[in-house]
Amino acid sequence: MRYTTRSRLFSKGSHLALAWLVTLAFILPIYIAFSSAFKTQEQILSSPLSPPIPFTFDNIIDALQRPDNLIQAGLMNSVLVTALTVGALIPLASALSFYISQRTPKVKAILLGVVALGLMVPPQVVLLPIVELLQAVGLANSYAGLILSNIGGGYLSFAVFVYVGFLRSVPQEVIEAARVDGASDLRIWWKIVMPLVRPATATVGIFLGLWVWNDFLNPLFILGPLQGQTITTGIYISLGQYSTNYAQLFGIMFLAAIVPLIGYLVSQREFIHGLMSGASK
Amino acid sequence: MSADTRLRRPEPGLAPSERRAATGPRPTSARTRVRRGLGLAPIAWAAIGLYLIFLIYPILRSIMTSFTDRNPLQLESSFVGFDNYTEMFNDPNLHRSLVFTLVVVVFVTVISNAFGILFAILLNKTTTNFRIMRTLVFIPQVLSGVIVAFIWRSILTQDGLLNSSLAGMGLIDSPISWIGTPELATMSICIVVSWVTIAFTTVVYTASLQAVPAELYEAARMDGANAFKRFHHVTFPMIAPGMTICVVLCMITTFKLYDIIAVLTGGGPAGSTESAAFYLVNVAFTSNRFGYSSAISILLLVMTALVAYGVTAILRRREAQL
Repeated sequence: MRYTTRSRLFSKGSHLALAWLVTLAFILPIYIAFSSAFKTQEQILSSPLSPPIPFTFDNIIDALQRPDNLIQAGLMNSVLVTALTVGALIPLASALSFYISQRTPKVKAILLGVVALGLMVPPQVVLLPIVELLQAVGLANSYAGLILSNIGGGYLSFAVFVYVGFLRSVPQEVIEAARVDGASDLRIWWKIVMPLVRPATATVGIFLGLWVWNDFLNPLFILGPLQGQTITTGIYISLGQYSTNYAQLFGIMFLAAIVPLIGYLVSQREFIHGLMSGASK
Repeated sequence: MSADTRLRRPEPGLAPSERRAATGPRPTSARTRVRRGLGLAPIAWAAIGLYLIFLIYPILRSIMTSFTDRNPLQLESSFVGFDNYTEMFNDPNLHRSLVFTLVVVVFVTVISNAFGILFAILLNKTTTNFRIMRTLVFIPQVLSGVIVAFIWRSILTQDGLLNSSLAGMGLIDSPISWIGTPELATMSICIVVSWVTIAFTTVVYTASLQAVPAELYEAARMDGANAFKRFHHVTFPMIAPGMTICVVLCMITTFKLYDIIAVLTGGGPAGSTESAAFYLVNVAFTSNRFGYSSAISILLLVMTALVAYGVTAILRRREAQL
């Protein structure tokens, strides 16, 4: 008895050690990038794995003092594009989902079928016609064009599917009761449905925010190279020259990566929960 | 707007649906259901309208363009029938890109599901340590493909951190060209993409594992099932739904792969790491051949649709059998 207890303890300890070993090996590239942001070029090249001792903020300061304002402008543009896209998509998608959920099964199936297309269409397939369309209406190379195509594209499909799935768990009686009290559809949606589907809104907001923020193809080809950039396309266009200046490269990348990373760590619980509810369906 | 006026409408002008509701619950017939939620129609149709303009119309437009020789440098474009489609049969660059895409799709799907399951089993504990590890493992998914690719490029280039470390340890004499030779570059893309997707599959599989009731394992243990048998008969069938999602999502993500290739290899060396999605963007925006690029995009769309529907159908049937 004593023996088995001890051997179990040992295997528990070795399991933990093995798990940490595998995890750390897996995220080693991220450790290298983040620790290198605080090292000098010589330190990075001579010992990429060692911790940043002595610690330097020079790379970060250099990145923030670039004459082209890459980080500041890129972050501002990304915030603008992401906030407006997600801010428009959430009410549009939840209203559409509530509308769909109230239709007859046949209409519901047709609408959901059309919306499902957006989940699997590769963005490259629609990129060229969208660029041409925006040119035709004078929105080429503009943030308005980028935001509009974000709202109308495949992101809507994801949001609608999350909301429709969640609305199934909202009892119809609650909505009926409001209707008996004389509430309009608009009021029912805004005052009753929206608060009830708040967890779905969290999932939609987090994932869409991340995807729009990290998007590369649309900003690159819709904004064009000369019209200012989001942080993602900005670092793509500017970092080519730093192929060997690792101190500069890692400094800029640290600043570009820190926003989504902090966002993830803060909303981690909702993140994983959103993934789990998606996976169990 | 109409919803507001209805709210303020004086009694006894109750809307028919409200009057019906007021008389108590009734079985919902198709007729009454259709009227519900119509106050939201303006917003709902605004959303559908944008979706039609920015997703459905572009698909139809791509199909139409694929039958023309459209080129932005010429004003006129003419109908060329199936010429673009026959050209696809004879385009060695396209064939190479399709083979590359297939290699990456298969490699990434197999590796990230195998490792995802392994990691999930390894990390499937509820203590703080394991929660922290699961949080860390997901980080590659949070960073943009551009940042992921730049990190790996700094590791994999000729004078990158991997070669300098290997040389420092005396393991290699001359630097290895990890992204400079076709075979190694293909391998590098496969590994980097898998690294990102493993982060996703691990979390989905952990979620599936946590839904497996502990009694099942207890029962299996009582019956004398060893670790392998417990995996084969308990774990594997229980994570089948998670597997359907992971396999299909891995395939779809890899089909539209663009940013990692653009940064890590730029499609090189000599076009060996151009995926179909990457190639068609180049044909459109570098060679200015909109017609031909549209034809390739239709091919990509059909392939993605077949894979998404086909693989989902097969895996769902398998789920039912398990």
